[in-house]
Amino acid sequence: MVIVQRKELTLAERLYLPEIFRGLSITFRKFFEKPITRQYPEEPLPTDEVTRGQPRLVVKDDGNIACVSCGMCEIACPAYAITIDGGETDRQIEREPKRFEIDMLRCILCGFCEEACPKDAIFMSNELELADYTRRGLIYDMEKLKRPKSALQPRIDYVYKINKRWRRTQA
Amino acid sequence: MSQTPNPAPSSSPNPAPAPAAKPATIKIQVDGREVEADPKQPLIRACHDQGVDVPMYCYHPGLSPVGSCRICQVEVAAGPGQPSRVVAACRTPVSPGMVVQTDTPKAHETRRECLEFLLKNHPLDCPICDKAGECDLQDYSFNEGQGKGRSSEPRRKLEKRKSLGDVIVLDEERCILCSRCVRFFQEVTHKPQLTVSGLGSRSTIATFADKPLSGNYQGNIADICPVGALTLKPFRFQARVWNLSKTLSTCAECSRGCSITVEALRGKEVKRFRPRYNPQVNQHWMCDVGRFAYAPVTQPLPPEGSIVGGRLIGATIRGYNGLERVELESALAEIADLLRASSKPLVLLSPFVTQEEARAALELCASLGVAPRFVSPAPNNLKDDLLHTGDPCPNRRGLSDLGIAPIEPAAALTELASASAALLVGERVQALLGVAELAKLTTAARLVVLDVVAHDLAALDAALGVPTHVEKSGQWINVDGHVGVLNVAVPAPAGVAPLDRTLRELLEHCRAPAAR
Amino acid sequence: MEVPLPLIWLVKIVVIFGGLVSTAALMSLAERKVSAWMQYRIGPNRVGPFGLLQPLADGVKFIFKEELIPAGANKFMFRLAPALSAAPAMLTMAVIPIGGTVVLGEYSIPLSIADVDIGVLFLLAFSGLSIYGVILGGWASNSKYSLLGGLRASAQMISYELTLILTILAVVALEGTLNLRTISENQQHVGEWNIWTQPLAFVLFTITMFAETNRHPFDFAECEPELVGGFHTEYSAMRFALYFLGEYCAMTVLSCLNATLFLGGPSVPFWPEAPWFVGIAAFCLKAGFFLFLFLWVRWSLPRMRFDQLMRLGWKVFLPLALANLLITGGFIAFGAH
Repeated sequence: MVIVQRKELTLAERLYLPEIFRGLSITFRKFFEKPITRQYPEEPLPTDEVTRGQPRLVVKDDGNIACVSCGMCEIACPAYAITIDGGETDRQIEREPKRFEIDMLRCILCGFCEEACPKDAIFMSNELELADYTRRGLIYDMEKLKRPKSALQPRIDYVYKINKRWRRTQA
Repeated sequence: MSQTPNPAPSSSPNPAPAPAAKPATIKIQVDGREVEADPKQPLIRACHDQGVDVPMYCYHPGLSPVGSCRICQVEVAAGPGQPSRVVAACRTPVSPGMVVQTDTPKAHETRRECLEFLLKNHPLDCPICDKAGECDLQDYSFNEGQGKGRSSEPRRKLEKRKSLGDVIVLDEERCILCSRCVRFFQEVTHKPQLTVSGLGSRSTIATFADKPLSGNYQGNIADICPVGALTLKPFRFQARVWNLSKTLSTCAECSRGCSITVEALRGKEVKRFRPRYNPQVNQHWMCDVGRFAYAPVTQPLPPEGSIVGGRLIGATIRGYNGLERVELESALAEIADLLRASSKPLVLLSPFVTQEEARAALELCASLGVAPRFVSPAPNNLKDDLLHTGDPCPNRRGLSDLGIAPIEPAAALTELASASAALLVGERVQALLGVAELAKLTTAARLVVLDVVAHDLAALDAALGVPTHVEKSGQWINVDGHVGVLNVAVPAPAGVAPLDRTLRELLEHCRAPAAR
Repeated sequence: MEVPLPLIWLVKIVVIFGGLVSTAALMSLAERKVSAWMQYRIGPNRVGPFGLLQPLADGVKFIFKEELIPAGANKFMFRLAPALSAAPAMLTMAVIPIGGTVVLGEYSIPLSIADVDIGVLFLLAFSGLSIYGVILGGWASNSKYSLLGGLRASAQMISYELTLILTILAVVALEGTLNLRTISENQQHVGEWNIWTQPLAFVLFTITMFAETNRHPFDFAECEPELVGGFHTEYSAMRFALYFLGEYCAMTVLSCLNATLFLGGPSVPFWPEAPWFVGIAAFCLKAGFFLFLFLWVRWSLPRMRFDQLMRLGWKVFLPLALANLLITGGFIAFGAH
């Protein structure tokens, strides 16, 4: 238990008016300082490769998606946001996703999918905006998720860098 | 329900065994425990019987041991205090007083070295491989293997998509040459079709003269393949195995009633039937007809606003404007009125109804004063001497035990044509009678159908949806008198109630007409 | 050139009343802008240049919003209350002289809508009415929060109305008239401003002004943390806006009154013969200062406690105002006038 000794107020403080004027003067001084407001749509927040935005699928330079629908991100996803149905393809890789959906309403941007992916096919982009008129519209299908590799390159490099650092600490 | 074995000898190669005399056993020591072992079985079997996990690739309990993979090596001494050495457990017979140690550093080291050789050429394409998740090589690598390979040589390059007939695709790179598939055709179907061809690192599994595989049992080699070398074409890349819910069930395609596991993607979509070990019915195997019979249980729902053309869901009666959906209660009342109005309604059961449903049908028929019969089509030509009986009625034995008589489809159609009212009950009953023939029935007959599929029959007056055999629980009795269990593997569509419940509600309506 | 007298009245009414309502509307923008600037923010800036059309947008929004009336509400009273709150506040503006007299040709037009001899009395009577809107709204909503807000408002109003009247009475006694035009004309020179002869009354009036308009730090009738929204919890759409219009109008009128009573109304310091439009500008500046003070105080001070409010009203302000009136009366009776 703590007994708080209240400070004995001086006459000026008890009169209250001087204190009021002191308070008013403080707010009046702030009146002329520069605002720190950021005008959001025109001035977006800066993002860099550390930003963990919405996950996106890598489209390789040959135009094909890097994903082989192995299901690792699906099983790693703690929010059950990812649904993948695989299928056969004539490409060398044999297997590709026929349906790859991320329910962005469920996605918690944890980055586990990025970590789980054995094929460098899914990375956290710097895209953060999420708005639609329907719930269905926020379940992103493959076409909405595809991004060229060049667009995700800073994040890819960053992930490689931190993975290397992590492996060094393990050794 | 009769569970006693059929006293009459059947054509089955796996009749219900008489309680055999207990085989003579000998005592050995496994991981410090004194255990009893069957001297006719290899050492690995004794270990597995004791719940000791000894890895295996080439050994399969349903096949002869060959000792080609060497992953099952354990440390064995002739007796306590004797010098021990590492041997392959699958090729070592048990001898009295033998001391077996599976968990020693020496055994682990040998297994790890063996695994490293197996992985030397095994491609790292687990993300693509269908076997991932149920792959023995993956599991043991995780437990025993080392994270990194030491070889600087490139892996061998072989054909990755070699078709072996209609059912099987072979990935030669993934194959570890365990020869389980070769032995399956030699020892189980007795029609050898595969062999290991080539020498050294170029050895591959091949058919004679590159002929496609034939026979009704090809699918089993994909099951027993310890890696992802042999995969089923219909299942290829359809699902990740950890997304499949597994439910114990019974195969519906013949009166053998093989024990199976129904595997459904995310618990909704049936993707695979796999055999389940049952020493008294099907051992480890099942036929391809049953394995790929998931079309009847994955009927699509009818198009929006339509009643026919897909699953029969909910209750349907014929009104002034043709077939229309109605509430279940009013449909049941309508059907009850219709059946009671007829003096002798014809009740035909499908051979797919379970014992529980058949009893409900019997009660209903007793109240109507008729005897039900079950549709019994002629045997098909799929009969073989391994599993398939050629009889397409999975519950023939059970229905016969309940005193329900069979009736040929042709005879049934003749009776239908003259009957004033008829009640057709059960999965596939329309298909077994012949949909074309049913469509020809005159509209004068009052026809009530309780089936899975909705057909556009002119004579149809009322129809209720029933669950398929993967959507209900119950029991079938196979040709030898063994009980086959059905469990709910996937949920029935909305508006489809269990058949026995529907029949009992119909019975209530038939009994208490005055109240309505 | 014959200009009918009713036309002059009409023009005056439109100009002064329109000015009042637009001031009230702009106050809603000013409130948000001032609060933003005091908190390093920008404030509304999307509608029109510098957000100047924000009040218009708000008005449109309020008009088009759905209006909900609680199931158990007294519907007639519920609808009447906001108008009862806003109308008196607007009416009182009629007697405030916003400037001297304009001479156009043969016409000499006094710059107030009504030039009544009992102007102060009229003003006090009508501003006292506006509290009925608050109490009625609180009662008719059939909601405990609204009722508590209305009750608090009435208690507060009774307490501070006394002080307000007593301070004005001191000025009236000094000036010897109830006519606001006469009072403001008596203060042509800076030295004649009543603030010098009645400093205590000025301070008391200024503070009481806050209590009379239910403004911070005395806004117990609304008091969001305790009463959700106080008397207007259940109001929505334009009726909700009407309460705020009334509040801002009352603020404007009291600011004008303060300027008239204590700061010489339209008198320009050290330029007694300033033309009429300069006078209006000076008047607006004086009233504007008090309006700014309303906002300034709101975004600087915490709300008081209700018992503090009552103690302040009855134990401090009332005795002070009484003493002030007595001393003023003493001076008038025995003074050196």
